[in-house]
Amino acid sequence: MTTSEQTVQKPIKGDPPPSIDSLGKLAYRLMLASAVVLAGTGIGTFVLGQAPMTHWVLMAHVSAAPFFSIGLALVALTWADSCRFGRSGSPQSGRAKALLWLILACGLFVILSGVLPMTPLFGTTGQHVLYLTHRYSAITLAAALVLHLLSLRRGRLPPAS
Amino acid sequence: MITGVTIVVGFWPAGTRGAENLKTESRMPFLHHIPLRDAEGQVITLPPAFDEQGKPQEARANPFSTAETCGRCHEYEAIGRGWHFNAAKGNAKPGRPGEPWILTDPATRTQIPLSYRGWAGTFKPADLGMSDFDFLMVFARHLPGGGAGEPPQIDPKDPKTGRLLITGKMEIDCLLCHDSTGHYNHETRSKAMNVQNIKWAPTIGAGLGTFGAARNAKALADSWRPGRPVPTNLPAIKYDRTKFDADNNVLFQVARRASVNACYYCHTSDGQLGDARWHSDQDFHIRAGMSCVDCHRNGVDHMIVRGYEGELKDRSVTADMIELRVKLLRRDNATLGEEAAKQMAGQQLNVELGMVETLSCRGCHLGATDAKQATTQLGGRLGAPHPVHKGLPPIHFERMTCTACHSGPFPSQKPQIVHTSLAHKLGLPGPARGENTAPVIVQPVFLRGDDDRIAPYKLVWPSYWGRLKDGKVTPLPPEEVAKTDKLPAQPSDDVARDPYNTKPLTDGQIQPVLETLSTDKSKGEGVFLAAGKIYRLEGGKLKSEEHAAAKPYVWPLAHDVRPASQSLGARGCADCHSSDAPLYFGTVLARGPVDAQSGVSKAAWELRGDDKRVASTFAASFVFRPILKYVTFGSAIIVLGVLLNYGLLGLSAITGKCRSDSNSAAREK
Repeated sequence: MTTSEQTVQKPIKGDPPPSIDSLGKLAYRLMLASAVVLAGTGIGTFVLGQAPMTHWVLMAHVSAAPFFSIGLALVALTWADSCRFGRSGSPQSGRAKALLWLILACGLFVILSGVLPMTPLFGTTGQHVLYLTHRYSAITLAAALVLHLLSLRRGRLPPAS
Repeated sequence: MITGVTIVVGFWPAGTRGAENLKTESRMPFLHHIPLRDAEGQVITLPPAFDEQGKPQEARANPFSTAETCGRCHEYEAIGRGWHFNAAKGNAKPGRPGEPWILTDPATRTQIPLSYRGWAGTFKPADLGMSDFDFLMVFARHLPGGGAGEPPQIDPKDPKTGRLLITGKMEIDCLLCHDSTGHYNHETRSKAMNVQNIKWAPTIGAGLGTFGAARNAKALADSWRPGRPVPTNLPAIKYDRTKFDADNNVLFQVARRASVNACYYCHTSDGQLGDARWHSDQDFHIRAGMSCVDCHRNGVDHMIVRGYEGELKDRSVTADMIELRVKLLRRDNATLGEEAAKQMAGQQLNVELGMVETLSCRGCHLGATDAKQATTQLGGRLGAPHPVHKGLPPIHFERMTCTACHSGPFPSQKPQIVHTSLAHKLGLPGPARGENTAPVIVQPVFLRGDDDRIAPYKLVWPSYWGRLKDGKVTPLPPEEVAKTDKLPAQPSDDVARDPYNTKPLTDGQIQPVLETLSTDKSKGEGVFLAAGKIYRLEGGKLKSEEHAAAKPYVWPLAHDVRPASQSLGARGCADCHSSDAPLYFGTVLARGPVDAQSGVSKAAWELRGDDKRVASTFAASFVFRPILKYVTFGSAIIVLGVLLNYGLLGLSAITGKCRSDSNSAAREK
């Protein structure tokens, strides 16, 4: 391809280290806060053996969902560039970058498997598959979020002398 | 597929009892061209049409006995243990509550749900001082016989059941269901029952003859004194000679599979009253060409499948069933020992029992995944379509029954009045019945069943006079209440206009009756229950309040099934999840023989014990559902775009690096 030469992203050593702006940090906090509500209501109900959610718990879950999806979309927009592999000078470790991409991928699954059942596209079997997809991608997402948060915090620690 | 028809044919020496073992084993029904037998088992032989002098003779003979005629080949005793006949025997599991018999007396405004099965909310006939014979006489119009009508022993000194020695037992009337001509005359049978011509009734109903005497059995029984010898010259049937051939055989056009109309005689349930009946679509399955018995099947034991989910736990393989099966197995294999046959019978019957699951809505349309048989797992019997339920989250199947969305009338803000055969004597001619004709039954009301799932129900509020003692209300029989002579008599010139005496009682009319009933305090305090409330006197004044004894008796409804296009939810989530959805916010007003506004009124959520705040908040949240969808889909598109973009960039970087490496290698060469 004639254009491939132009689009190849090589490590750009001269670029300033990419950083997350305030919008990115706000988006991350929004995503995190809503994820706490979602995990508490969703995974909490599952762990306590009372699945599926009903009543207030379900309403709290559904109410937090749009904030999570907005937060996730903003995180995708603001964090993606700084989490590119091969980008030198990034404050984030490779593990943190990998976890962010995992969060985005799982988040996409979680969002779609949560909203598609509200459309007349899937029958009972499809709905059940979506339900299970939602459940297990959400568990993966929650785990990835915790690990990502830990990675970020570890990145802030001063290097050992 | 229709199971193979087993028709038993026999030729027996006179005087033998019990079903014989001659079978046709064909799907083609056996032609029942058979002799009639009377209660003593004697073949009914008509006298010649002309006597020796050439004078015409009437074809007088005893009424035919189904136990002796049909029971010669079919297992009459086993049949008698089936659902339609076993209630009074008290040895069958009651199963899910069903439609009760309702003792209705317009004059005293009494409507009391009765059942021998002991369903919560019903009374047993004995609780009202009714003997089995009383019960038979009140409900004979729709009783198929057997059970209370065939006591194993009759005490000739008992003034009630002793009458059966004159009137004859109420044998199972096989032709009520199995006549295939449509010529069975329920009206003449009912009239015969009304005058206690009990053993003559099946012959009369089948159109084989008429009652051959001026005095009916009731008059004969009235003039008979218990303990005295039973008269031997009981009336005969005047048979229709054209029904008999030269050998005294009668052609019975019968079908193993009862027709839909045979079922409808007792099981009609219609909310389209009177002239509006032409709007009734009936059950979707029936309109599609199915029969009631396609799902409500039975074996020789006549334990007809009721068809609800979880029915299996209410059924069991009984010793009687094993005994019958052992008999059949050992006919087939003479070398089979008793114990081995019992074991085999138990296994076979348990496997057959498992198939019952396939005859519920879910079992037939979806299959039962935990079942042992492949066909039970698969479902789809008779080509039942596998529903897709697009857009319906699976939680609905855990919280609602199939009938909630598919059965009964489409829910509206107020439940509709429904008439049923058993309650309103449908199938028998009478003045047009209306919305206020007692007993007032309403449907659909959405309640939670024992399995905590929401299902549609029929409701009837008991209405009766009673006595309150030690916190317990005991109903009084209508005759006893009538003796107070305080109830308003309907003006005779009003009877034609209002044949069912539907005028509600006022407080001023209730009070004097209660005062009379409360005269003897040792018997308890006189009370009246109606429309969900108890009426009692406090300090000489009439008070009314909600009371547990006045709560409605409820039973699930399953028919008529509506097509999918008319199911609840066909218009979307808002059918149930909106601020005015009948499922939550409909009003159920208790009905009874008092002013319509006096009854207890409750919202559907309240009757179910749901939380109103949850219901209304959840309904309100559906207003924002489109926004939720737009936001989440929009976000998903952004995330997907980012993932694709950087994913492609990553791939591009990898391919670029590979190319660069290969170019470097080439240059080095």
